[in-house]
Amino acid sequence: MKIILKLQDNYELQANLFSFVIHFGLFIFMLVSIQWQMKDVYYSEVELWDAMPMQVKSQPVTNKKKSADIKKLTPKAIEKQKQLKINEDAEIKLKKKRKAEKKAKIKRVQKQALKQEKIEQLQKKLLEQEKIEQLQKKLLEQEKIDTLKESILDQDVKKNARIAVEADQELFAGSNTGELNKFKAMIQQKIYQNVNKQLCGLDLVELEFEIQLMPTGELLGDPKLMQSSKIESCDQALERAILQSQPLPVPKDAKLFSKLKNLKLKFSPNAYTE
Amino acid sequence: MKIMLNYIHRFIFFVTLITLSLSSNSIEVIEILGGKASQIPIAITPFNEEIRTMGQVPDKKNAFREKMHKVIANDLERSGLFTSLDTSGISTIPDSDILINFSNWSALQAQFLVVGKIITIQNRLITRWSLIDIYKEKTVLSMEFSGSKKQYRGIAHKISDLIYKKLTGSPGVFHTRIAFVKKKSEKIYGLYVADYDGFNQRVIVNSSQPILSARWSPDGKKIAYVSFEKKKPVIYVQNLTTGKRVLVANFKGNNSAPAWSPDSKKLAIVLTYSANSQIYIINSDGSGIKQLMRTRSINTEPAWSPDGKEIFFSSDRGGNPQIYKVNVDGVSDVNRVTFEGKSNLSPSLSPDGKLLLFLTQDNGKFRVAIQNLLSNQVLKLTKGPHDESPVFSPNGHMVLFTYKDYGKTTKIGTVSINGLKVTPLRVGSEAIQESSWGPITSN
Repeated sequence: MKIILKLQDNYELQANLFSFVIHFGLFIFMLVSIQWQMKDVYYSEVELWDAMPMQVKSQPVTNKKKSADIKKLTPKAIEKQKQLKINEDAEIKLKKKRKAEKKAKIKRVQKQALKQEKIEQLQKKLLEQEKIEQLQKKLLEQEKIDTLKESILDQDVKKNARIAVEADQELFAGSNTGELNKFKAMIQQKIYQNVNKQLCGLDLVELEFEIQLMPTGELLGDPKLMQSSKIESCDQALERAILQSQPLPVPKDAKLFSKLKNLKLKFSPNAYTE
Repeated sequence: MKIMLNYIHRFIFFVTLITLSLSSNSIEVIEILGGKASQIPIAITPFNEEIRTMGQVPDKKNAFREKMHKVIANDLERSGLFTSLDTSGISTIPDSDILINFSNWSALQAQFLVVGKIITIQNRLITRWSLIDIYKEKTVLSMEFSGSKKQYRGIAHKISDLIYKKLTGSPGVFHTRIAFVKKKSEKIYGLYVADYDGFNQRVIVNSSQPILSARWSPDGKKIAYVSFEKKKPVIYVQNLTTGKRVLVANFKGNNSAPAWSPDSKKLAIVLTYSANSQIYIINSDGSGIKQLMRTRSINTEPAWSPDGKEIFFSSDRGGNPQIYKVNVDGVSDVNRVTFEGKSNLSPSLSPDGKLLLFLTQDNGKFRVAIQNLLSNQVLKLTKGPHDESPVFSPNGHMVLFTYKDYGKTTKIGTVSINGLKVTPLRVGSEAIQESSWGPITSN
């Protein structure tokens, strides 16, 4: 018994360690599962435009006009032609310049779009990172709650077991037997008052119910019929007798109540009691 | 090694803990021997009535509400197994099993609740009703009956029968009939058939001479009775469907006390043919007569056991009248059955053969009593002092008997076999005697 008590002291630590290992394992498993879900996403690049590029319309140059113009060449005309050529060249240059500018603009827009995409991707990654962190936090919290719950439950089980063991020891020692029997007699008397044997025929039938009591004396759930009288009306009449007897007299002392929490009720409604 | 030790320690601890928990959780047993003969509290609400006129002049409102309520409540109370609770204090009476306020009814100490609705359309009467378990908060029976308005009593009796069957496991007898003899005047006697509660009387035989010992056959088709038409007692069997009757026993001396065999084929009768009263067995058509046994003492009032193997009878062979039994073949020994009381007579047996019903003489009073044939315990059901001819109801839960009203006029009434409920039957102001209870029929 001493060894057990010593071990019992160590056991809490061991249990904590054990639960930590289990939860660590679970955490690892969750991490792995999260990574599995976080495979690289295949992104498709999209070019973003401010506006659609304008198409340049080239005017058709007729050969007939040119040939006619050549025929009527004068020095003024030559001068004019030269001027025109210069103008045309300037226009071409301007056009080229505009084209180059447009190209540059498109490139800029494309670059900006790419940058935007990258930023968005980064933001996404950051958000995911945040989510993961939050999840991790939650897991940690849950773990803490679980450990707390476990320890409370463990304490409850130990407490109940200790109470029951102590009640057993006390009963064995004879200090509480009288009290227990007193409450058993009170329960028996209260139920007896409600037993209607008229629905049980005349044969010596026997029935058995199991009940679970709350500390208030009320029933926890319905009475469980373990042995039937084989007369339905009799079974039902005795179930009603149990239900009608609520609340049953129960001790306030937790140790004593633990002995009466679960009861087996044996009925012999047609037994000769005289 | 240390880890191993750790595990072993842990294992030992768990095993010890579980063992201790199991030993401490050994369930306590409480034995409850015997019980009470109490009544089931049942709340029977008056059914709400709805009149559908269909263009005709409507009936008086609530014409059937109270009548049907009264029939059902009286039926169940008369059995002695139920006590009908007063529901007048409940403000809203439901007419179906939905929206039941269970706390109201459990405050009334009701274990069961009957709610329903009556719908009348022209000459038809439809009744929708439910039986509800208050403890379990659930409907245990929900049905609809219809018939003509004249049949309202029959419908109410049928409802009582079904409630009775559901809650007791035994068939109800509220739809059965009884037969009795009414002495209308010094020279007019009538054999009547009526509902078990005395309603719907119908005369089947009128005679200027006394009629005695009317006995309904177990198949419900015939009635045997003793008539003085021949200036001495003779036995007739009358068919209830055709009205035809057969003179079964007109032997030398008195012919009396007919008792049907369980298969309705034979009769045990009493003749004073040789000298004093002796029991004979005869076919119901009057053929094949056979003496049951020969003794010097008086043997009378035969009654068959439900298995048809034994005959119980009263005899003075021990000095005072007591009840004895003998095998139908008459070969075996005669055994005495009753021992309590100065004298016991008029035996009959319950349908399960476990209870013996008889008249017992107790301090000069004749009282109806039953004896448990398993334990031989005797329970006196009535107070007397002039009770007579007790017969069981077909389910064995009630007894029909005659008594003297203030020591003068003979009346009939019922008593429950727990002795808790004695109810007089209102069948008229005339002297009523020699009653008999008919069987349970399917319709």
